[in-house]
Amino acid sequence: MIDRFGRRVGALIGLAIGDAVGWPAVRHRAQLLPPWTRRLHRELDAFAEVQQVTTMPVPFALNQPTAPLRLGPSDDAEWVAWTLTWLRAADGPIGRDDVHARWRSAVADGTLPRGRISVATAADTLRRDVDPPRTGHDNPHHFDDAAAVRAVAAGIVAADPVQAATLAGWDAEVTNAGDGLAAATAMAQTISRLVAGESVTTAWATAAVSLPAGGLLAGTVAQALEATRDVPSPAEAVPLLADLVDHVYSYGVAAAQTMPVAVALAHVTERGGARPIDAVTAAACLPTLADSAPALTGALVGAGAGITALPTTWMERCRRLAGCCAPGLAGTDLVDLATGLDERTIRDQ
Amino acid sequence: MKDRAEGCLLGLAVGDAMGAPAENLTAEEIAARWGTITGFLTDSPSGTDDTEYAAFSALLLLEHGHALTSDHVADAWIEHLAGREGGFPGAGFSELGTIENLRAGLRPPASGRHLHSWSDGLAMRAAVHGIYAVGDPAGAARLATIDGVVSHDGEGIHAGVAVAAAVAVAMTGTATPREIGAAALAAVPADSWTARSLRVALDRAGDLPGLLDAVVVRAYPWTDLAPEAVALAFAAFLAADGDLPRSVTGAVAMGRDADTTAAIAGALAGAHGGLDAVPADWRAQIGPVTGRCLGEVVAGLHPIDLADRLAAHMEAPS
Repeated sequence: MIDRFGRRVGALIGLAIGDAVGWPAVRHRAQLLPPWTRRLHRELDAFAEVQQVTTMPVPFALNQPTAPLRLGPSDDAEWVAWTLTWLRAADGPIGRDDVHARWRSAVADGTLPRGRISVATAADTLRRDVDPPRTGHDNPHHFDDAAAVRAVAAGIVAADPVQAATLAGWDAEVTNAGDGLAAATAMAQTISRLVAGESVTTAWATAAVSLPAGGLLAGTVAQALEATRDVPSPAEAVPLLADLVDHVYSYGVAAAQTMPVAVALAHVTERGGARPIDAVTAAACLPTLADSAPALTGALVGAGAGITALPTTWMERCRRLAGCCAPGLAGTDLVDLATGLDERTIRDQ
Repeated sequence: MKDRAEGCLLGLAVGDAMGAPAENLTAEEIAARWGTITGFLTDSPSGTDDTEYAAFSALLLLEHGHALTSDHVADAWIEHLAGREGGFPGAGFSELGTIENLRAGLRPPASGRHLHSWSDGLAMRAAVHGIYAVGDPAGAARLATIDGVVSHDGEGIHAGVAVAAAVAVAMTGTATPREIGAAALAAVPADSWTARSLRVALDRAGDLPGLLDAVVVRAYPWTDLAPEAVALAFAAFLAADGDLPRSVTGAVAMGRDADTTAAIAGALAGAHGGLDAVPADWRAQIGPVTGRCLGEVVAGLHPIDLADRLAAHMEAPS
């Protein structure tokens, strides 16, 4: 029998595996190496262009420790761990003010982890004493999935799905708006329902009611579910989902892109009885979205199937954080983080 | 009316051509490279997407007038733009995002909902809606929205509406630059990013470092954010007290999306001051649109001729 603890750990480890499996992970983790290694990487990129060779550079250590470049989680797992760490340490019911105050203090003392453009912009605005939700609204990447990733923490720790969505919304409005905010509340509610034992189909259908009608997120989710309706396995869903990938814009972290992939792959997995790991590795086959679509996918399938359904080989390599975005979390074990969690309630505000 | 329409579109073309070499540079980089901006930065200045898309929107107004619908606009994009091969030189994410959506069969407003719907791509072409609806900022806003929802959403629409409404007021010849700026602000939702940026522009137009610090998003690498672009354009116009040469050079000196911000500032100042506001030597350097961005549909159109046709249309009995 899978219990709540097993599903909570499953969500965290599933997310970490997905975070690790995409190609951007090693580039995030390369931040732990000296800057000159990344400068040389950029120069090798230019070399390939100038010399017209097809040999592309990969992150490399030269004379430095190679550990950061091994398989392991990066930005998204660290952001969820950062969020979960302060949520589980909060004293009593959590209010909207508490959430915003946490961001302000992290910005003020310089401990906010390295994050996406939405996060960096919000941090810059918080420094100017601008309050949420303006920090998330007057934000060029208000639509990205930074908050949707963090929402996994709210989904794990909140006492029920409605409180999970509210809590995730308070956190999301600091950095996001529109589809970016809606993705976060839907993700938190879905994770909370999965942890409580609901199916992916039921949990998502209930959570998705709150998505803005006519928006890009709702539309693309509907397209992704429709396109993969009869697909027997996650691997076979990949080319169909690739048709939905935007190739106009310069960044691949829009919630309206990564969430539909994660949601569709979780449905295909549940319907076909596929192994959760197959959904995560399938998501990594969409290079444009590989920074976070596999992580979101892993959180959904991991929460649904529980930790025992995830391969030990993957878990053992992905459970510990590197500290590439939040140096203070280096070495943190995600299983420990999920152990002994008290459910959190919220204060009405 | 004809004189102000000519001033508006020529001012737009001048700003576009003058700002093009400075696009995506910072104010510091521009000062280091060119010193104080007093005129064109190259010997053969050339307009870009701003003038071409404005010309395209002008053609739609000439064909459909106040009966313009978003379906007309979408059909024109499909007929003239979606079939083009080899890309769209000079265009931004929002234009290609729109064309991909239209090619996929989406219609407005869904065609304008893509990952870059908040760009300044409507603001750069919305001056023509202000010309057409002279003296009627609400009507100008309506036309800009009808045109805009094909390619933009949210703040991208708000910024276009701000430009259209301001030009409609400037075209009357009776409004001060402050009143023109206030008309832009009044046309957009008070609780929007665009409104907040415009308020900064109105409050701090003469304080360049303070202005840039308040409205420029440092953590974002692209410069075509609509709320930022209109703030810089209106600040340049207001700091110059509506004087066209100083409005345009002031916008160019700020950098960022300099061709678009200078085009908007030039359109505002040209509508405000009329054709004579454009220095004769600048005017002489603006020729017909090349069509480099949009092809045959706009190639050969001259901003002055387009302005005359828009003005003639306005003065024709209805």
